[in-house]
Amino acid sequence: MNISDLLTAGRVACRSDVVSKKRVLELVSELIAAGASGVDARAIFDSLIGRERLGSTGLGNGVALPHGRLAGTEQALGAFVRLGKGVEFDAIDGQPVDLVFALLVPEHFTDEHLKILAHLAEMFSDRAFCERLRTTSADADLHALLTGWSPSADAAL
Amino acid sequence: MQPSDRLILLAGLLMLVSVITTRLSRRIGMPILLVFLGFGMLAGEDGPGGLAWSDVPTSHFIGSLALAVILFDGGMRTQLKSFRVGLRPALGLATLGVLFSAAITGLFAAWALGFDYVEGLLIGAIVGSTDASAVFGVLHAHGLRLKERVGATLEIESGLNDPMAIFLTVAVLEWLLAGRPALDAAPLLLFAQQMGVGAVLGLAGGYLVWLLLDRLDLGAVFTPLFAFAAGLALYGTTAFFGGSGFLAVYLGGLVIGNRPSVGLSLVLRLHEGLAWLAQIAMFLILGLLVTPSQIVPVAWPALLVGLGLMFAARPLAVWLCLLPFRFSPGERLFIAWVGLRGAVPIVLAMFPLLADLPHAGTMFNVAFVVVLLSLSVQGWTVAPLARRLGLELPPAVTPQRHVVSELPGTPGAVFASYVVAVNAPVAGGVLGTLGLPPASRPVAVARGGRLLAEPASVRLVAGDAVHLLAPPGDLEVLDRQFGGRPQRPGPAERAFFGEWVLNGDANLEALAGLYGLQLAADERTLTVGALLTRAFRKPVVGDRLRRGRLEIVVRELDGDRVLRVGLKLHRNGETVAG
Repeated sequence: MNISDLLTAGRVACRSDVVSKKRVLELVSELIAAGASGVDARAIFDSLIGRERLGSTGLGNGVALPHGRLAGTEQALGAFVRLGKGVEFDAIDGQPVDLVFALLVPEHFTDEHLKILAHLAEMFSDRAFCERLRTTSADADLHALLTGWSPSADAAL
Repeated sequence: MQPSDRLILLAGLLMLVSVITTRLSRRIGMPILLVFLGFGMLAGEDGPGGLAWSDVPTSHFIGSLALAVILFDGGMRTQLKSFRVGLRPALGLATLGVLFSAAITGLFAAWALGFDYVEGLLIGAIVGSTDASAVFGVLHAHGLRLKERVGATLEIESGLNDPMAIFLTVAVLEWLLAGRPALDAAPLLLFAQQMGVGAVLGLAGGYLVWLLLDRLDLGAVFTPLFAFAAGLALYGTTAFFGGSGFLAVYLGGLVIGNRPSVGLSLVLRLHEGLAWLAQIAMFLILGLLVTPSQIVPVAWPALLVGLGLMFAARPLAVWLCLLPFRFSPGERLFIAWVGLRGAVPIVLAMFPLLADLPHAGTMFNVAFVVVLLSLSVQGWTVAPLARRLGLELPPAVTPQRHVVSELPGTPGAVFASYVVAVNAPVAGGVLGTLGLPPASRPVAVARGGRLLAEPASVRLVAGDAVHLLAPPGDLEVLDRQFGGRPQRPGPAERAFFGEWVLNGDANLEALAGLYGLQLAADERTLTVGALLTRAFRKPVVGDRLRRGRLEIVVRELDGDRVLRVGLKLHRNGETVAG
């Protein structure tokens, strides 16, 4: 599985005008819907907010990985947003979140989805990697970083 | 030099090396009590010190006094909320458990030493109790944060079981001294009296001390001394009325430590020091009292008794007593292994010596070897075993201590000062936007000895001193915000709880859809919290359920209610037992 399979360059954004968790989720929903045919931003948002009700997807250290299921798509879809200023996300450590990777998977569950989630969680637990994302502003550079990551010796917590 | 001057010099030197060695012992993980015992032996007649100390009555007095102080302090530090999961299993272990363990160890002793069974049983009773000071000492020295079900059970058991061991020892000893008369109900009555009087006077006395603690208004120096004196008086009064003084001071301490009072922190601080002083004094004296050259002849049989206790008697007793409760095999194994023996057996072994019972010397030496074996083998392995069995929790935020001063003109608020800890939740944040409790107002921030301008806009770093005006009720929250995680090895939080967090009321059916969680038909309507409560009855932080690739771990509780759980996604799907 490669991040490039689910994240196109058009679904990466660096924004500084987003001030709430709800707005972040709307933004990633729009990003995903814009790049894929036959999916509706509202449905994506509902799916993501439904998952947040079970418990925040804020992993700590300013990272959140909202995710959900979506009818009408055949493949997993991702979107990434870097925020200029962190927003309150109910994260486990109470810190505001400024790195958000959203993942939508097809309605029918497979083991592959768990693998993608585990991969994303591992990627964003790499502190040095997160710092590189935070100092990068151009959408294209962010996309290159995200699709180029591979587990390294110093990636462990 | 006067004899008393020599004694003071010797006591001073011994205490000095003992205190300094605590640092070294922490580094190499050696049980500290063993070190004190060793220094006592070195100072004694067979060591370079060459001091011939054989004053049993004085040693017995010091040992009992020290035990009372340690139990009083242990009671004050036992949190009543740990009774939620620990009390009922601990009650069984502290009574029936001691009896089983003494009876089985008695068999080994009789066989190994060629005694008859009753004499063996006396040895079993002497080494029958898990030692509170040894358990507290080992657990706290390693900074171990155990799963509450295990930690609470062990702490409460060891606080409560000394009276049972003392009772058994005295009962068997008196029966032997009386020439083995026909058995009647007298021992049972004595037992009821010891426990009943001890419990009633202990609870009532503790309440009385608490009532007086703040009302007497004795000031910072005399308030803790008042508590100390009251603890000793409580022990003596209870013993005078035929109750167990040890039970009374433990329960009295429990009451005092769990009721709110202004003087409590002062009392705790003094008693922490006193409890350590008691430990050092007790083990030094015991080390002095024993004559190593006399141990050699009984070393082999004594070793067999010790092994029988560690590998047969204690595990069997634990297994039997925990049958009605939901403990995992790992938790049972750990509790069986942490049956540390400490000073109580050695103090109890002086009873036959004082009574001039035949074989009393042998019994004392056997008890000594058993304690030595238990302290070194079990004491050394407790922390690694807890880690191996997955019973150690990730380190918690240690609340930062605050310095408080009362200010005139600010009723209902105190002036509190904090030093920002490394890894503190507030470190790295701007003071004005941190989400401190709303009624708490930062007044000044000092860094490098200088006050910074405009405290609200300061970005805090570790080591900054923050001064606030706060209502006393906010201090607990602030303690945690300014505290940090201790820098010590322990499981990483993410590895232990998993990456994802779910609310306890998350619906299982939703999880089944999202993550492919396999559910039984009657589980579909449950919440994840209800599933855990059903599996563990009284869940504790760290309890885990594995289903295929998914593992659910209890993360936060309010009483028996699961507030948050961790969700772990495993890369392989096979089910792991346990």
